[in-house]
Amino acid sequence: MKRTGVFVCHCGINIAGTVDVKKVAKELSRHPGVAHAEEYVYMCSDPGQNLITEAIKEKKLDNVVVACCSPTLHETTFRNTSKEAGLNEFQCEIANIREQCSWVHKDMEKATRKAIKITKSAVERVRRNESLEPISIPVTRRALVIGGGIAGIQSALDLANSGYEVVLVERSPSIGGHMIQLSETFPTLDCSQCILTPKMVEVSKHPKIKLLTYSEVQEISGYVGNFKVKILKKPTYVDPDKCTLCDECTKVCPVVVSNEFDIGLTGRRAIYIPFPQAIPATYTLDIKSCPGLLPIACGKCADVCEPEAIDYDMKPDIIEEDIGAIIVATGYDLYDKGLMAEYGYGKYLDVLDGLQFERLCSASGPTQGKIIRPSDHKEPKEVVFIQCVGSRDPELHCAYCSKICCMYTAKHAMLYKHHVPDGQAYIFYIDIRSGGKGYEEFVQRAVEEDGVLYLRGKVSKIFEDKGKIKVWGVDTLTGKDIEIDADMVVLATAMRPSQGAGELAKKLKIAMDKDGFLSEAHPKLRPVESVTPGMFLAGAAQAPKDIPEAVAQASGAAAKAVAILSQERLFHAPTVAQVNLNLCTGCGMCVEVCPYVSLSLKDGKVEVNEVLCEGCGTCSATCLRAAIQVKNLTPLQVHEMIDASLGGR
Amino acid sequence: MVNLEDLKKEAKRILEEGKIKYIIGYERSPNGMMSMPAFIKNPEDAERLTWDPSCVYNLTRFLVDEKRRKAKEKKPDTRPVAIVVKGCDSRAVVVLLQEKFINREDVYILGVSCEGAGVVDEKKLTEKLKGKKADKIEFSEKDHFLITSDGEKIKIPAQEILAERCLECRANFPVIYDEVLGEKVERRPEDPFKSIERIESLSKEERWAFWKEQLDKCIRCYACRSVCPMCYCDECVVDTISFAVAADTTAEEKAQKIKWIERSPDSSENFVYHLVRAIHLAGRCIDCGECERACPLDIPVRLLNKKLEKEAKELFDYEVGFDPEKPSLASSFKDDDPEDFIR
Repeated sequence: MKRTGVFVCHCGINIAGTVDVKKVAKELSRHPGVAHAEEYVYMCSDPGQNLITEAIKEKKLDNVVVACCSPTLHETTFRNTSKEAGLNEFQCEIANIREQCSWVHKDMEKATRKAIKITKSAVERVRRNESLEPISIPVTRRALVIGGGIAGIQSALDLANSGYEVVLVERSPSIGGHMIQLSETFPTLDCSQCILTPKMVEVSKHPKIKLLTYSEVQEISGYVGNFKVKILKKPTYVDPDKCTLCDECTKVCPVVVSNEFDIGLTGRRAIYIPFPQAIPATYTLDIKSCPGLLPIACGKCADVCEPEAIDYDMKPDIIEEDIGAIIVATGYDLYDKGLMAEYGYGKYLDVLDGLQFERLCSASGPTQGKIIRPSDHKEPKEVVFIQCVGSRDPELHCAYCSKICCMYTAKHAMLYKHHVPDGQAYIFYIDIRSGGKGYEEFVQRAVEEDGVLYLRGKVSKIFEDKGKIKVWGVDTLTGKDIEIDADMVVLATAMRPSQGAGELAKKLKIAMDKDGFLSEAHPKLRPVESVTPGMFLAGAAQAPKDIPEAVAQASGAAAKAVAILSQERLFHAPTVAQVNLNLCTGCGMCVEVCPYVSLSLKDGKVEVNEVLCEGCGTCSATCLRAAIQVKNLTPLQVHEMIDASLGGR
Repeated sequence: MVNLEDLKKEAKRILEEGKIKYIIGYERSPNGMMSMPAFIKNPEDAERLTWDPSCVYNLTRFLVDEKRRKAKEKKPDTRPVAIVVKGCDSRAVVVLLQEKFINREDVYILGVSCEGAGVVDEKKLTEKLKGKKADKIEFSEKDHFLITSDGEKIKIPAQEILAERCLECRANFPVIYDEVLGEKVERRPEDPFKSIERIESLSKEERWAFWKEQLDKCIRCYACRSVCPMCYCDECVVDTISFAVAADTTAEEKAQKIKWIERSPDSSENFVYHLVRAIHLAGRCIDCGECERACPLDIPVRLLNKKLEKEAKELFDYEVGFDPEKPSLASSFKDDDPEDFIR
């Protein structure tokens, strides 16, 4: 019989307060096959680990059970300890008597009995563990960054500056994201474009960065260190190398459509450059608004293009890339104000959303920074800003706080006052959340220096009345109803995951939370990792964030990616599925359920790709014939564990 | 109405062409009222084939046997086997295809219409005829059966002698076939889960008492397993003594065989058997009712399957055996599943 060692941890009083650890050790020492059992106050401490090492050597133990906290915490610790003492690391199992016992029970006697059962079942399990060696896999030392906003740009630059090749994919014609649309940024009021464009230029010039704009990730296969990515590069119909940016083409283009860069405040032509500092600096022919290329319906832009940069025959291109790690920085979109009944479903011209107001304030915006009403181009004298539009509204809209609105609304009001010193700014708010370096001071400055009037309450209705926008609201601090004849209303609409992020998440097999933001692997300790190994999250794709947070997370994600790319080889847990070919009927049910696409049918039987398999056991649970099982958690082991916990042993 | 001559003609044709290995169908039994399975290899024997309301068997079980036999043959005859299927049986073929147990090209499906009625329940018929023998059972119009007994023709309303499952049938016309005889006659059951209504209305204690009484009768002859087309595993969890031992099964593997269940027929072991059987048929059972028909102790085992069929319908909107391309219930996953723990 194999000789098992059992080590029971007190975890201070975390376990010992509810479980009689001495009794557990004593009881286990009588269990057949247990050659050694002891308890100690902190097994994970150095002296605690030494106890394990010594016992393994002196008592010639074959395997070890540590009864302590959850295996997600110290399994690695104790497996390494066992390895150092000469055992195979998979000859060590954890009996979780803290999270699954002491923390959830009060009755010491019952809890002790349960702890004994849990530990005994772990002993039965470890006894049938196979000694396994980690699966070694090579690493492709290149990264993919999806999304060319500030987060994606920062990640790409950090990776490239660490010496790794980066493929940066952006679906719109230029990188820059939402940040390039902003006027000035809180709390320092520095010009957004001025601080972002140097980074954009650096991206375009960096020898390690391959920039693919107007491109979308189409397909991803493979696994950490060895992804294969197919990227669709849409045709721009303009050769950026030939284009001299003379702007003759837009002068002759007969089509005018809403300009997405100015969120509809201006128009653009079918052939256009999103903004003067666009990277790559070239024009794009938007095929959706162009009168047509098959056959060529207009052809004016090509006629006037002297350098002959316009090529109507350009075709979509599928680019295949080998990638080791992926950073997803797909950013956000604003909540559609067309969904807000009380604010007129977005139908009033002078009711703007935050980004539109940014464009109005921007020195490079449609009005060169002059704040005027879109309807009659007059200077607004009374402006109402409304916070939490769509945010913090679990019944109708988004339950979460969009986090940045308090700050940018204060900034908006401040900028408005700087442009129109004799105007009045009102802000309707629920709470002011200004946690952040210099943020509270910024809000105070808006109130004290710029005379912004904060009104605590919600707006019930907005409607047009004699050229004014009537705002009905309530000030909950005074209890008074408020009516303002405003010239302009600015809605701080909620942040949503960007359109299409959901489909991308499905392709990448990254989980999403209930709001559609990408889920991190652990909310506190693994905030930049996705649950899928080798894929990291940056920026507002994960949750609403301001610029400094997005940048910090982007650098964090880059550092995490470097931790993979810098390895010679990666190691994968060998506790993967294995098939009993005699029992497999090739029904393929496990193939369908495998969340990691690690199974396939070959010659009528199932085959496991051990590198892709994460050992989740879904296949094993689905198989009617017990033909597929996870190593070291076989049906026999489960049977023995059940038997032990029912008191059979 | 299915013209029996058409069936025979079609059977003769495919056999003469030589593309079919043999036909699994029905023929009149030399004794007893019901038809029995027929295996026709020669074109001249096609005459023996029959199709009438006494053809209760689900013949798809023989496809399972055929596959096993073929696997053992040194030089297997790779031609497809033809099989006569009713609506319900065709769904069993769909499940076998879905589970990749058989390939579509290995089976030639001859569908027959149940004429909007179904097949008879032998026990009900015997009772109805009060001991007399039926020489011939035929479909008659939509809702009746025409019974010839001692030269006398009796017309009996179908509802009175239909098999229980036919009363709840939702597919009385083949869902998959290469050739089909007869027309589809619409007849939707009012409640496809009527048979379990009574048990569902019982309290937990009453239900326990009911099943304990029923399952205590079980002698574990495994007839229900043998007759089921879905019970095709080489190794069954209940066989503690006859584990499939292949040439390359190691001593360690043999030693690791788990005895989940004791052979002795007592309450606890009988419950384990029947629950395992029911669970393993969840999302796979097409309600052909063969298990219950085959049971020598009249245990209403079909009710367990029916309950799971209802659960599958209500929880996952899943109906078994309609589309061979769709994943089976246990292996289907929807991104918009309301249970977010699964996403």
